[in-house]
Amino acid sequence: MTLIQVVLSSGIIIIAIYMYLRLRSTIFDLILIFLFLVTGIIFVIFNEITDKIAHFLGISRGADMIFYLGILFLFFLILKLYSRLRRVEENLTELVRKRSIDEMEEIK
Amino acid sequence: MPLYFCSLTDTKEIFVIMPCYNEAAVIRDTVTDVLGHGYSVVVVDDCSKDNSKNQLSGLPIYYLRHRVNLGQGAALQTGIDFARKKGAKYFVTFDADGQHDSNDIAGMVECLEKENADIVFGSRFLPGAKTNVSRSRSFVLNAGRYVNYFISGIMLSDSFNGMRILTQQAAEKIKLTENRMAHPAQLLMLTAAKKLKYAEYPVAIHYSEYSKNKGLRNKDGIKILFEILLFKLFR
Repeated sequence: MTLIQVVLSSGIIIIAIYMYLRLRSTIFDLILIFLFLVTGIIFVIFNEITDKIAHFLGISRGADMIFYLGILFLFFLILKLYSRLRRVEENLTELVRKRSIDEMEEIK
Repeated sequence: MPLYFCSLTDTKEIFVIMPCYNEAAVIRDTVTDVLGHGYSVVVVDDCSKDNSKNQLSGLPIYYLRHRVNLGQGAALQTGIDFARKKGAKYFVTFDADGQHDSNDIAGMVECLEKENADIVFGSRFLPGAKTNVSRSRSFVLNAGRYVNYFISGIMLSDSFNGMRILTQQAAEKIKLTENRMAHPAQLLMLTAAKKLKYAEYPVAIHYSEYSKNKGLRNKDGIKILFEILLFKLFR
């Protein structure tokens, strides 16, 4: 095992533990975390597998494929977060507005 | 019908909605000037950090305060919601920094009634408007006007003017959800979507040293453009 493989797999394990501590609520979550852990470690240690998939897709290196998919995934995540943020702000606005109208202040 | 306006509309039914954020230096002058015409004034304090509220002591106005800073668009909507509850007949939006002229309100009301419009937009670029706008600012505003046209399909001569007047029907239909700088664009989109009849009226803009320092700068145009695009994407 090379050094980078050690770094990456320990990173994946730490993230998995963190996810487990955060959302250990349902079986579904556990399966998801487990899948993430296993695929991540397999891809890091037996990286020739990613090369094979990449060749099949028409990309020369497995690492490039992971990179492309990673960008796509991150972009999707940003959009999700942004729309969540907008929803939260809408709710906040609703609350602040209602309170300000209910408590119309008299100027003395 | 020249006397129509004087005879039928009680000035108390005209609600002037003034969003205010850190305007302690000028808010009192602006409000007293508007009150002098007999209009009802709603100041929506968007969580000012200065003592804007103390400056207003003793004035017969409605004072609303956001507990969290939300932005000008949100403050306007709060003011509109409140004025609707109070049974306002006309809703005027008016900047607190003193750049508008309260003498224009009567003319805008008249224009609204004469044209039978739902909403009248103030414009500093129509013939007859007294304004000392700089050339660079005109250029930015002109570019913004095309952006708003592209987005809403409505071409105004001045689409970022803070002075507008809405009827009850328009105020009922318009719900601004863009809290910050994209709200003029959203207002135009809603005007188009709800098929409101609109008109423009020449109004004066007085750029003082204060409003120049406090208000938007030309480079904020980029920020506004970005917000409008995000709004268009996530509406």
